[in-house]
Amino acid sequence: MAWSEARQAVSARGISKSFGRQRVLDELSVEIPSGLTYCLLGPNGSGKTTFIRAVVGLLRLDGGDLQVLGRPVGEVARLYPRIGYMTQHKALYPDLTVEENMEFYAGLYSLTKKQRKERMEELLRMVELSAHRSRLAGALSGGMYQRLSLACTLVHQPQLLLLDEPTVGVDPRVRQTFWEYFNRMAEEGKTVLITTHLMDEAEKCQRVGYMRAGRMAAEGSPEEILDKAGLQPILKLWLADLEESAALLARQGYPAAVKEGTVLVKLEARAQVKEILALVEPLDMRLVEPRLEEAFLLLAEGQ
Amino acid sequence: MSPSPARIWVVALRVVRQLKRDRRTIGLITFAPIMLMILFGYALSGEMSGINLGLVDGGGHQLLRGNLESMSDFDVLHLGSESDAQRLIAEGRLDGAVVLAPEGVRVLLDASSPQISDAIAAAVQAGAAGERATGSGGNASPITRRYIFGYDLEMIDTIGPAVLGLVIFFFAFIVSAISFLREKTLGTLEKFMVSPLSRMEIISGYILGFSLMAILQSATTLLIVVFVFGVPMRGSPITAFAVILLLGAGALALGSFVSNFARSEFQVVQFIPIVIIPQIVLCGVFWPVQSVPEFLRPISYVLPLTYASDALREIMLKGAGLADILYPDLLALAAFFAIFFAAATLMLRREVG
Repeated sequence: MAWSEARQAVSARGISKSFGRQRVLDELSVEIPSGLTYCLLGPNGSGKTTFIRAVVGLLRLDGGDLQVLGRPVGEVARLYPRIGYMTQHKALYPDLTVEENMEFYAGLYSLTKKQRKERMEELLRMVELSAHRSRLAGALSGGMYQRLSLACTLVHQPQLLLLDEPTVGVDPRVRQTFWEYFNRMAEEGKTVLITTHLMDEAEKCQRVGYMRAGRMAAEGSPEEILDKAGLQPILKLWLADLEESAALLARQGYPAAVKEGTVLVKLEARAQVKEILALVEPLDMRLVEPRLEEAFLLLAEGQ
Repeated sequence: MSPSPARIWVVALRVVRQLKRDRRTIGLITFAPIMLMILFGYALSGEMSGINLGLVDGGGHQLLRGNLESMSDFDVLHLGSESDAQRLIAEGRLDGAVVLAPEGVRVLLDASSPQISDAIAAAVQAGAAGERATGSGGNASPITRRYIFGYDLEMIDTIGPAVLGLVIFFFAFIVSAISFLREKTLGTLEKFMVSPLSRMEIISGYILGFSLMAILQSATTLLIVVFVFGVPMRGSPITAFAVILLLGAGALALGSFVSNFARSEFQVVQFIPIVIIPQIVLCGVFWPVQSVPEFLRPISYVLPLTYASDALREIMLKGAGLADILYPDLLALAAFFAIFFAAATLMLRREVG
């Protein structure tokens, strides 16, 4: 069905996988909508990589239903020309140059010479390796190697991009470029699924799934997850008349407290900011967002 | 999805590119066979020291048999039939043979080396005289002589073609097993699995790429064998080349297959004795397959080098053409390649957990 393909890039219902006695995916269910950046977050061994390998058809599932781009996972091989898969192994040939590695992968996807040239130029620029195109991949630094691996994964403009820990060892500036690129891909209707164990990476994604022990412990947009964990943003107000304003807000039902020369108000929703500003006139203010990290820790404890 | 020649070529080209850059491997695959050939060549280039005597034991004549076996000049090879003996003499691999039978003793001699023939005949006469003296052989055992025209060959001539096959097999096997294993450890194999590249295309591309290497290697080794050691090339060098390449392709397929059972280069190396030594011992490289103990012979007949060395000897020493070696040699080599090509492809499938 065309519409379902457009809606859900990946749809898993109760999928399970065990290696020996160890249950790595435990009736995992998750819907990954098309056209956004989705982050699979979780501690090591939580089943993130196993899930991605299941999505690309490298694992036989013990049970459950898994659909990829609207097709059952058993038929995923037909979709390979539209899938980009980057493993934690960088999957590059150290004894080939940057350009030769890219040419090789472009060749596997039967790109024309013109397409190949265009794509390679664009991607080399994006990963900032244009100046190093003739260097042997084995002579690149760890971060550059990682960037080349990403460029090779993107060379055929995949519709569904699966990246297992793609930003390990990449410096923050280039990481920013990656994220801009991923967001642009999502805007073009492509789906980017990323695994990471870094919270600040997850915050950059439109949706986050937090995996623990082969299950989805929490799932949603970063904001939704914070709400679910019961973590609220705090409005920090610098006011001329601290005590008086705090009392006023308290009378109106806002949990306000004076602390270190400011008034702190716990918000139930971000929309409350507007109401509060109708009551008091702060000299300055700041909205303190709770960290996603705290939310996950809370959710993990609650399991 | 039908196999795409373009994708196979992409894989093959990459293999060649990597090889071109890997100077040490180029050195290994071109100079090591040359070195080995030179080593074998000089070690085996003298006239044969011992006399290779075939013995077909059809019963009786224990004393004569014992005498011949105990003579230090003779390397006695036990054969199954007189026709084997005739063939081996004709090929220059035996200097003569003695066929023992209750009704008489037949001595087969190589007409091209009279001195050795005389030595054999004399030894048989002496042995028979001893039998008569003790009365164990009986008087009714006439000795008949038959002359067969063999080649007057140096040892390297008979062994050279087989060693050529061995060397090619050995290096093709190692190089493909190790580099295929590297695809696994680099993670590229997993990435291929999630690309339009089919399993068959992966193996085909691999074998094609390394075949280009094998061509280079075969050519240099063949030239050394023929021009440095003067091993005759009575048949067409192209036919010999075709045999070597088919053997090499089989070794490449076997290497790709075996790499599935290894997790490190260290383990690949441990497969070498298992794969290579039986071929040295059982495939008629240094002594004829006919002299391999009967219970081991079935193994000889499933090993590719048996057929390759036979075909190469036929071509180089006897001038056989393609039609002469088609059955069983070429057919067996093609079957070996096909079986391990299929096995390597199927094993890739099993990689999926």
